[in-house]
Amino acid sequence: MRIRRTDLYIPRIYLLTGGMLLAFLVLGISLWRLQVAKVSQFENRQQIQSLRRVRLPGIRGKIYDRNGLCLADNRPVYSIALFLEEVRRAGPWARTIDQAMDVIGRVAKVTGLNPEMNREGIWKHIRLRLPLPLVLWRDIGPQAMARLSERGRDIPGVDIYTEATRVYPYSPYTSHLLGYVGRADSDMMNEEENYSYYLPEMAGRAGLEKLFDPFLRGEAGGRLMQIDVTGYRHGELAHRTPKSGGDLRLTLDMEVQLLAHKALGNHRGAVVVLDPNNGDVLAMLSAPGFDANRFVPYINVTDWNLLSKDPAKPLLNRAVAGVYPPGSTFKPLVGLAAATLNPASIHTVYDSPSIFRIGQRVVHTTGHGEVDMREALKLSANVYFFKTALACGPDPIIQQVLSVGLGQKTGVEVDFEQSGVVPDKKFQKENRVGWSDGDTCNLAIGQGYVAVTPIQMAMVTATIANGGYLYRPRLVQAYREPAAEAYVLNEGNRIGKMNWSEAALFAVRAGMHDVIMEKNGTGRRAAVEGLDFAGKTGTAEYGVKEEGAKHTWMIAFAPFDNPQYAVAILVEDGDSGGGTVGPCMKVLMEGLYEKMKREGRLT
Amino acid sequence: MNRSLLRFDWVMFSAIAVLLVLSGLFIYSADYRNDHAVGGLMGRQLVWALIGLGCYSAAAFLDYRKLNSAHWWIYLAGLFSLVLVLFIGMSVYGAHRWFSFGGITVQPSEFAKLAVIFTLASWLGDPATDVERFKTFMLAFVLAGVPFLLIAMEPDLGSAMVLLPIVVLLLFCAGVPLRPLLILMGLGVVALLLLIIWLLFFPDSCPLEDYQKSRILVYLNIHQDPLGAGWNKLQSQIAVGSGGWFGKGYLKGTQNILGFLPRTVAPTDFIYSVVAEETGFAGSSLLLVLYTTVVVRCMSAAVQARDTFGRLLAAGIGVLIFSHVFVNIAMTIGLMPITGVPLPLMSYGGTFMVSTMTALGLVQSVYLRRRI
Repeated sequence: MRIRRTDLYIPRIYLLTGGMLLAFLVLGISLWRLQVAKVSQFENRQQIQSLRRVRLPGIRGKIYDRNGLCLADNRPVYSIALFLEEVRRAGPWARTIDQAMDVIGRVAKVTGLNPEMNREGIWKHIRLRLPLPLVLWRDIGPQAMARLSERGRDIPGVDIYTEATRVYPYSPYTSHLLGYVGRADSDMMNEEENYSYYLPEMAGRAGLEKLFDPFLRGEAGGRLMQIDVTGYRHGELAHRTPKSGGDLRLTLDMEVQLLAHKALGNHRGAVVVLDPNNGDVLAMLSAPGFDANRFVPYINVTDWNLLSKDPAKPLLNRAVAGVYPPGSTFKPLVGLAAATLNPASIHTVYDSPSIFRIGQRVVHTTGHGEVDMREALKLSANVYFFKTALACGPDPIIQQVLSVGLGQKTGVEVDFEQSGVVPDKKFQKENRVGWSDGDTCNLAIGQGYVAVTPIQMAMVTATIANGGYLYRPRLVQAYREPAAEAYVLNEGNRIGKMNWSEAALFAVRAGMHDVIMEKNGTGRRAAVEGLDFAGKTGTAEYGVKEEGAKHTWMIAFAPFDNPQYAVAILVEDGDSGGGTVGPCMKVLMEGLYEKMKREGRLT
Repeated sequence: MNRSLLRFDWVMFSAIAVLLVLSGLFIYSADYRNDHAVGGLMGRQLVWALIGLGCYSAAAFLDYRKLNSAHWWIYLAGLFSLVLVLFIGMSVYGAHRWFSFGGITVQPSEFAKLAVIFTLASWLGDPATDVERFKTFMLAFVLAGVPFLLIAMEPDLGSAMVLLPIVVLLLFCAGVPLRPLLILMGLGVVALLLLIIWLLFFPDSCPLEDYQKSRILVYLNIHQDPLGAGWNKLQSQIAVGSGGWFGKGYLKGTQNILGFLPRTVAPTDFIYSVVAEETGFAGSSLLLVLYTTVVVRCMSAAVQARDTFGRLLAAGIGVLIFSHVFVNIAMTIGLMPITGVPLPLMSYGGTFMVSTMTALGLVQSVYLRRRI
């Protein structure tokens, strides 16, 4: 067999085969580089383009009063939402929008709701949040919901969408201390995880909601969604359920809080009721109030302007942030200071005429004749306290007043608390005036520079009522950690004991008892038949003397022998402590008396 | 018959069979959305595969030498179909590439390529043809050039380009002197460079279609246009790259399911991306091994062929398969510009399946009648 010509070129075929194998090897190496060496890079790119993380807000913890009444609750909001991926149309977006508008029309017909969503709204949703449901009607009523589930079964892509919102059932009576929540800014959350979409979350903006925000807020959940090339939701890859935040149980007794509201009536002012045995805040009310629900999720400009520009300052929590001269409610402290320094002063009798001369100044006041401390307290005799204060000098009084907690924040868990003012010689110097006998006399009757908050006066009252024990007022009685069964009690908050002598306390308490219980006591209008209690009125002048503007006070504790309530009531621009606040105190005490009787706490 | 079954190349046939099964599986996957396959592509592909197997058997047991004398008729038939498709072909996006017979579309260019190989092999294998003459060399280019131009006019430049390595390598195997071949390849490289410069600096005067221009520029990474022409390249690379060692699992290729890999091309030109994403490097390299087997067995048939016609026929078909596989995979992983070159035996498409199976049947025919 002869060798054919082309057999000579068989090596060329081997060469060619070798070349092709080499080419496939190059492909194999490239594949390895792509799929093995750079896999993380491509996985990352693939995830960036097809995965979206949605943050689900945590479930906010609730706030209860001491009896388990819910004061800050979560309410489900039912909305009708459209899932655009189920009504999608191929081609230009306008076709999908047409279809969506058609569906909206059908839902509107079935439910009787007015269409609120327009083409621009849908287009905006498509551009910004396509994988998320488009809310068509927020917070629909039960009627619309029933109609939709009855007759809207065959409408494509429409479903009920549930969110939670904050609700304050007892607002406005609780607004100042609970505060409110508002829509949180996503950039404020400062989290490590990056989300593509944030569902609206509530953040505490004032009051307890703000102070305990991290505790109440709960833990955000998330959804890992897969989107397709058009941006529609394709499916859910992972879901992390949001966790609930912790709950707070307050010392507040809603019954007392409502009594306080009733007592204050239409007055502008504040009421604070403490339990003198432990400093628990049983009621803390500031009037006028506001409806905190209006702030959720955000307050509109009109409402905000109405509230913030109202001359009555409804946003101000007068109970802790209102600073007023204490007037005559200060006198028990002066008496205690003097009697502790010099026990004899309890029985010292001073003439208390209607005209008193301090240096060059002549003070005109009500005359009461010869009185001792008990009598002077009952009648609120100014000149008696001028003479007492002048006799012991201002320093022991200032020292007493500071150690009972005035001039500093009580530390109650409410924001914007003010510390008030206790003037001393240093303070006067800083204000470029020297300390004169006139200042001592002003101090003796709670006038001049001295300024206090209602909660400070309630704290003072509680301290007198319980025999000198100082408790820091507290609002949070117990807290329950997320997912925990039981509450953890807040630890005790006794912060000290006053060095008042028994005799001094006896005299001052007796004087305060007479204020209410005696026929000519200044607080007799507060008296409640059957309830033995003690108190003190106060009328504090402020501003220019000629205008005669007065803040009126009354402090009280009840029952006298076994105090369970220590109260401070302030009414702005009243006539007199006894005349204006007395009837308020009467209403409150009547209520408390009934409550104690009902609960069997009277012995 | 028993004797020919023993002589049958079972290795190549097994590789083909495995590829056909994989083709069915992954066309189903490429077609898969929301828990079911939407297009029913797999069923149709299996029907085409069965027809292809029929053609394969027919071609294998037919003595290829009997067709030798008909090679000019085959060539003319190929040319005729290419001319005809320009006039009565179905128009898709302005391109006339398919005949349509009652829902079935046939792409004549695939058969024309086979016809070119057949004719060149037959003509160059003819002892009367002096392969060392320059005239032969030039005539071979003319024979390939006419169908090349006709296919390019459809327009389907990517498909036409495959003829270039076929004619060059067939001449190489036939034993033409090396010098003119090397000079030609040098000229080719220079021409390509000139084309690129032309595209870059004078794009308006270039006769190429806009999509062809942008594909070349995208490949060269000059026009970074991830949402336009660069989209398929980028998404295909992401699909392959995110596969890792073992892939995301069958029917779990997100690039395909979520539509990032365009649905029109996933079962056809980009079927390799689907395989690579779902089975990872393990699967994509297995596919590469299968194709290597097919190509090497073609070349082995060429080496053992009884005559020069058979040798050149087997080698030419080997080069055809190789070119398609190489260009397709290279474009899938971003090594080459996107050209509409399908992956033999895997991509969805009836004509190409049948023409490839027929071609491989011819190789089997050559192998069955080998010398040893």
